[in-house]
Amino acid sequence: MIQRFLNDVKKYYRYAVYSARAELKAEVAGSYLNWVWWILEPICLMLIYTFIFGVVFDAREEYFTAFIYIGLTVWTFFNQNLKNSVKIVKKNKSVVSKVYLPKFILVESKMFVNGFKMMISFAIVIFLMIIYRVPLTWNVLYAIPLFLCLVLVTFGMMCIVCHFGVFVEDLQNVITIALRLIFYMTGIMFSIDKRIGSKNPMLAAFLGKCNPMAFVITSLRNCLLYGETPARKILLIWMVIGVVLSMIGVRMIYKNENSYVKVI
Amino acid sequence: MGQREVAIRVENLTIRYRSLKSYSIKKNLLHLNRNKKEYFEAVKHVSFEVEKGEILGIVGKNGSGKSTMLRALAHIFSPDEGSIDTFDNTVSLLSIGVGFQKELSGRENIVLSGMLLGFSEEQIREKMPRIIKFADLGRFIDMPVSTYSSGMYSKLAFSITAILETDIILIDEILSVGDRRFKKKSYKKMKSLISDKERTVVIVSHNNQSLRDLCTKVLWINEGEMVMIGETNEVLDKYEEYMDAEE
Repeated sequence: MIQRFLNDVKKYYRYAVYSARAELKAEVAGSYLNWVWWILEPICLMLIYTFIFGVVFDAREEYFTAFIYIGLTVWTFFNQNLKNSVKIVKKNKSVVSKVYLPKFILVESKMFVNGFKMMISFAIVIFLMIIYRVPLTWNVLYAIPLFLCLVLVTFGMMCIVCHFGVFVEDLQNVITIALRLIFYMTGIMFSIDKRIGSKNPMLAAFLGKCNPMAFVITSLRNCLLYGETPARKILLIWMVIGVVLSMIGVRMIYKNENSYVKVI
Repeated sequence: MGQREVAIRVENLTIRYRSLKSYSIKKNLLHLNRNKKEYFEAVKHVSFEVEKGEILGIVGKNGSGKSTMLRALAHIFSPDEGSIDTFDNTVSLLSIGVGFQKELSGRENIVLSGMLLGFSEEQIREKMPRIIKFADLGRFIDMPVSTYSSGMYSKLAFSITAILETDIILIDEILSVGDRRFKKKSYKKMKSLISDKERTVVIVSHNNQSLRDLCTKVLWINEGEMVMIGETNEVLDKYEEYMDAEE
């Protein structure tokens, strides 16, 4: 199966990239401000959140804007990917009902689209870090395995969601609620350790380790902004889980993808 | 006769549709133990071989599984039982074309479709001018496909599959695409594609006359089961007899 997966990735890689590029292009083709939206949207969101959580709820952290921005960058990637993968096969009905392609290629292509947006967003993070004059340490290099971990976990979950999304009509509702729950359990706007940890250290430790998004975001902040080393053991565990999830997801898709066309 | 090279081998092919379609969590919670699975067999235990360069016609009344069979040959369905081997030949389903992504331009869709048919970006770029010329869409080629009329849509679809020339071409109903001029042009193109000795063609059609003109072999299926396969005129005579008798 792994061999087949690698072959398919190689064979359809160009397609996934081209399709992602075309989708990005189509997304902005009709609007006045064009690609400026990719920068404008996250900036506006950041301003809103900075205002609400920084001023109204007074949740001050060091380098607060960059703090929030890292959370938003990672969360948006995860959130959009999962939301979009529920109906992804149905959305591409015109393609999948006329020619064979491994269905996880659709997932992969979607990930390229959101990954590109994440890169822009991350560039803003770097820009903010320069403005704040955040002191850098070698620990920033941990950002690379952290992003890799994020991609693996997200891909695995997307494949699984994509499979069930074909058969389960109301999965979209479930996913929306689940994502909202994870959103508040992740601490995009606040520090889990300080906010939850002060009253309920057990829960904070649990979330920090067992919620992959919380773990990735907190670790990213720590290594980028505060020069701390992330928990390497947990990082490794989540990477392994990501690989396992991806294998399960791809296997599910391979086993069932040909009946997708009969259902949609 | 030269050596026989098999292009398509179908063995004991069975394809089922599940009557029970997609389900929702709500429905499932309300009827917990509803477990009767109903199957509908569209194709039942069909086996045949097509040699390279042959033109196979498939006949049968409506709903007998012809289109399902074609889609299975194009690998869109996998067999529920049995196997289909196309020996690494590139396959395309001609009539309906490859699916387009509606918000993208015609030009981009040509590249995407070509890639899905197994061509490299360079090969597609090379043939791009011919495809655009054949489709004859004028400035619409750079507009989103969603703005196309249905005729333009099928013209583009036909042009892509016709110019890219896959090893095996599957045709669902002899084409009647576009206006009179395009129809003539596409029929001519199709004939030249079909008569190429290197190419294997499978045609599904209700037009027996054109099948007699084109095919080297005909397969007759009824209710998903193979009735007979063999020499064109022989099978078609029997088939017509049967259809007339049923009235």
